[in-house]
Amino acid sequence: MQRTGFLFLAPYAVSFAIFVILPIVVSFVLSFMRFDLTAQSSAGFVGLDNYKEALHDNYFWSAVKATLLFAAMIVPGLLVIGLSMALGINAMARGRAAVRALVFLPGMLNIAVTGILWQWFFNGEFGLFNFALKHFGSQGQPWLSDKAFAMPSIVLMSVWWTVGGTAIILLTALQQIPGMYFEAAALDGASTMRMFRHITLPLLKPVMSFVVVTTSIAGFQMFGQAFMLTRGGPELSTRGVAQYIYETAFNSYRMGYGAAMSWLLFALISVFGIFQIRMMRRPA
Amino acid sequence: MNRSVWKTINGTIMRTVATLMILPLFLMLLTSMKPEAEVLNPENVVPRVWTLSNYQQILGWAEEAPFGRWFSNSVFISSAVTLGVIVFSAMGAFAIKRLRVPGGRQFLGLIIGSMMVPGQLFLVPLYLILSKLHWLDTPAALIVPATAGGFGIYMLSQFMEDMPPAIEEAALIDGCSPAQMFLHQTLPLCAPAISTLAVFTFIGSWNDFMGPLVFMDSVRNYTLPVGIALYQTSYYTEYGLTLATSVLAVTPLLVIFALFQRQIVSSMAASGLKD
Amino acid sequence: MSIFSNLGIRGSILGLAAIVAGIGVTRSCEGGGIVTSKHRVDLTFWNGFTGPDGRRMLEIIRDFNHDHPDIQVSMQRMDWATYYNKLMVSAMDNRGPQLFVVHASTLPRMYRSGFIENSARLYSGTEAIPSADYDPYVLEQVKFKDQFAGVPLDIHPQGMYTNAEMLRATGITQPPSDKASFMRALRALTKKSGSGDATQWAFALTLWRNNFQSLIPQFRGRYLKPNGDADLNNPGNIAALQFLGDLSREKLIPPPENGLGWVGYRQKKVAMVWDGVYMLGDLLRLQGLDYVAAPIPQIGPQPGTMADSHVLCIRKGLSEAQRTGAETFIRYLSKNSIRWAAAGQVPARRSVRETAEFAGMPVQSAFARQIPFMMYPPRTPVLFEVTLEIDQAVEKVIRGNADAKTALDLANVNAQRAIDRDRAEQKIAPSGGQKP
Repeated sequence: MQRTGFLFLAPYAVSFAIFVILPIVVSFVLSFMRFDLTAQSSAGFVGLDNYKEALHDNYFWSAVKATLLFAAMIVPGLLVIGLSMALGINAMARGRAAVRALVFLPGMLNIAVTGILWQWFFNGEFGLFNFALKHFGSQGQPWLSDKAFAMPSIVLMSVWWTVGGTAIILLTALQQIPGMYFEAAALDGASTMRMFRHITLPLLKPVMSFVVVTTSIAGFQMFGQAFMLTRGGPELSTRGVAQYIYETAFNSYRMGYGAAMSWLLFALISVFGIFQIRMMRRPA
Repeated sequence: MNRSVWKTINGTIMRTVATLMILPLFLMLLTSMKPEAEVLNPENVVPRVWTLSNYQQILGWAEEAPFGRWFSNSVFISSAVTLGVIVFSAMGAFAIKRLRVPGGRQFLGLIIGSMMVPGQLFLVPLYLILSKLHWLDTPAALIVPATAGGFGIYMLSQFMEDMPPAIEEAALIDGCSPAQMFLHQTLPLCAPAISTLAVFTFIGSWNDFMGPLVFMDSVRNYTLPVGIALYQTSYYTEYGLTLATSVLAVTPLLVIFALFQRQIVSSMAASGLKD
Repeated sequence: MSIFSNLGIRGSILGLAAIVAGIGVTRSCEGGGIVTSKHRVDLTFWNGFTGPDGRRMLEIIRDFNHDHPDIQVSMQRMDWATYYNKLMVSAMDNRGPQLFVVHASTLPRMYRSGFIENSARLYSGTEAIPSADYDPYVLEQVKFKDQFAGVPLDIHPQGMYTNAEMLRATGITQPPSDKASFMRALRALTKKSGSGDATQWAFALTLWRNNFQSLIPQFRGRYLKPNGDADLNNPGNIAALQFLGDLSREKLIPPPENGLGWVGYRQKKVAMVWDGVYMLGDLLRLQGLDYVAAPIPQIGPQPGTMADSHVLCIRKGLSEAQRTGAETFIRYLSKNSIRWAAAGQVPARRSVRETAEFAGMPVQSAFARQIPFMMYPPRTPVLFEVTLEIDQAVEKVIRGNADAKTALDLANVNAQRAIDRDRAEQKIAPSGGQKP
């Protein structure tokens, strides 16, 4: 039985070892090296220099700030909006399937298409949003060209793009709560609000935890959204760590430094990830 | 307030929300059929002059840009990836959660941890590895590494954990081998989760940019989204054309989704993801 | 779901830095260089000409292939950002194209990697491309000590595009050529509606960094000191940036959104813009826009503009047959560069510019008048970092968040840091690549 177990696991394990573990190890080694792709003769080990440089790099810290800002907005945003949608769909008498399918549709676009579309919406001159605002007598907003607006705009696009998936996951969990609980509570005279707080929320906790963790992981690695809409502007205020790593490694060709920053990002992600898992594991 | 009034209001709200979500896609389609001058003057949502000139221009690249080939590349690769991921993940999850392989839990923890590693970390080393394997510029470069993704095995492990073991234990008592149990009991029970995984995997693979861009040299080996993207970037000031290329990039996926819509949505709803 | 789906399109672009040197994977080159029977050589040619100019290049290549049955060239094009990364990585892995294009400004970085062949052969011998046929300044850009990185195909300066119709409507018959006439046009052509919204702008920034860099030579500014140190905050640069900052502060230009100026120009909402000669391809497809081109007006004490060149390069390590074939192609392209000019470029070769055919290209000829006064981007391997600093400084100033001096001081500090770091890193080991 055990040997069968290993046999069943083997294909995945081999693939995982070669295409996940090995690259991770190589990257780890790389983070302690100076490696400039355009001048490989100067490659060499530099110990912790890359890490030290990152911790003293203003650009790195602004990127961390941008990343944290994005994550801080998207995680609650997706959770609240996704849950509201799930509750709304769940309460529908008819037409659920259609609504369910429609909200999921935006998630099928790739980031490039999404970025182009929303760039057009947000455009200051002829974009759809400002056109609508002006049409109704208001004034256009600097969606992507003002620091105060840029990140929220990016978050807005991201929510549109991904909330469907979140809603469906939460909806599934909702539909698995046995109806009996609600009926019994209703018999006892409980209001909708009380039922929500004492039945729905606790039973949803595991799935909400899953959503929070996976959304955070994705949020910390945000790249395409900002890159497509603002290239990290205005004034690099929306340039996240992932974009900074990309530019360091693939425009400045400093692979070692890029790798070190990637590992710092990993540290950030795992700290939050573990913290969130622990937090949401508290007994209901 | 009256229950059914609530329900009606709720239904209206949800339908409105769904329409709003879909509106951008609709606008994209309509705008791509406007002449450029109209695109930049958005007074009319519906084009006053309908034109397919943008699409004509794009398809005029066809002598150089092999759209048909790209499309078949995408279909082949995404299908192969989906199949590979499902097979590897199902077998692996089965081994960890059903056969209780020693060290399985720790391995799963390692997998989840690996999902937290930023994707860029993998680009350089993966390129090297694929180069040594002589897989660059071949479909293998896109298909095989995808089977190492953690999402699938994590998800199926969750699902299998929740499944009551009674049915399988009965099969074992009857003298089934693990393989038979897997094929005849476990897989059918997992069908909803597997469908969900299949959908996510197919979409993810279809939209994957890094793989084809980085690991493929020849133009003819690109996938559709990547190929189209490389041609549209110079037209940053021509939104009509840009939107048209976006429509083309997205349409095959939407068509596939429409075809399998019922199965997909119902099976996804049936899958439960519990922690 | 793939971990990579977060990365998105360009985000995922190429990090493929194959640590190839160490691994030394050699493969027979994909898609090229195979000497088939009858001594036919197949070459691949990569570049970033994804616009309509690319189609023109395709036509030229088609004719070349027709005339040279023993050398067949196939082109692959992709957007420039992707292109450079892919080029770098695959060339290091010996998988890349035999022929490729590199911007002159990017050469210092690329040449150092050691995969570009010395093109000196093309400038000597019986079929030599005469080096005297190039402006010395342009030729300097492709020379590294006594080696040639390639052959310049074209020069693409920034210049001014005007809407003649809009100008005429306010009585201006010629595009402004100096600061006084430019400022007059600025005030005459900017129209606001009753509510204060602009219905028409005289001038708008296109890519604001390019617009600034075009003014640098006019104010006798520069990027680097002779010893290679950064000099971004010299008085000339500050004055140039100040001018743009003043335009923004006095609301004589619309609030900046990169690239929007060009869109507005195409829409006939902006009367004048400064952009590259390569944007002509965009205008050729438009109808009803009465465009007239001119040099950038002399805002500073002297005329000047920014320019760059596309340089044709050959990869190192080719077989003799491949190399000869590649050289033949480059010679052909160079000789026929008037056809390339029609796409919106200025030929690099003086003899081609002196033809009647070129004189018959009004936009290109107008832009070419600036050649004696143009300035290329700084010749430094850390061009990306320096350019980013310039971009940041310009953005701050035109958004009104800093004055020119402060912004450029900061940019200079950061640029110098990048330069120092690069120097320190390269001194450690004897350089395997070429030093500029």
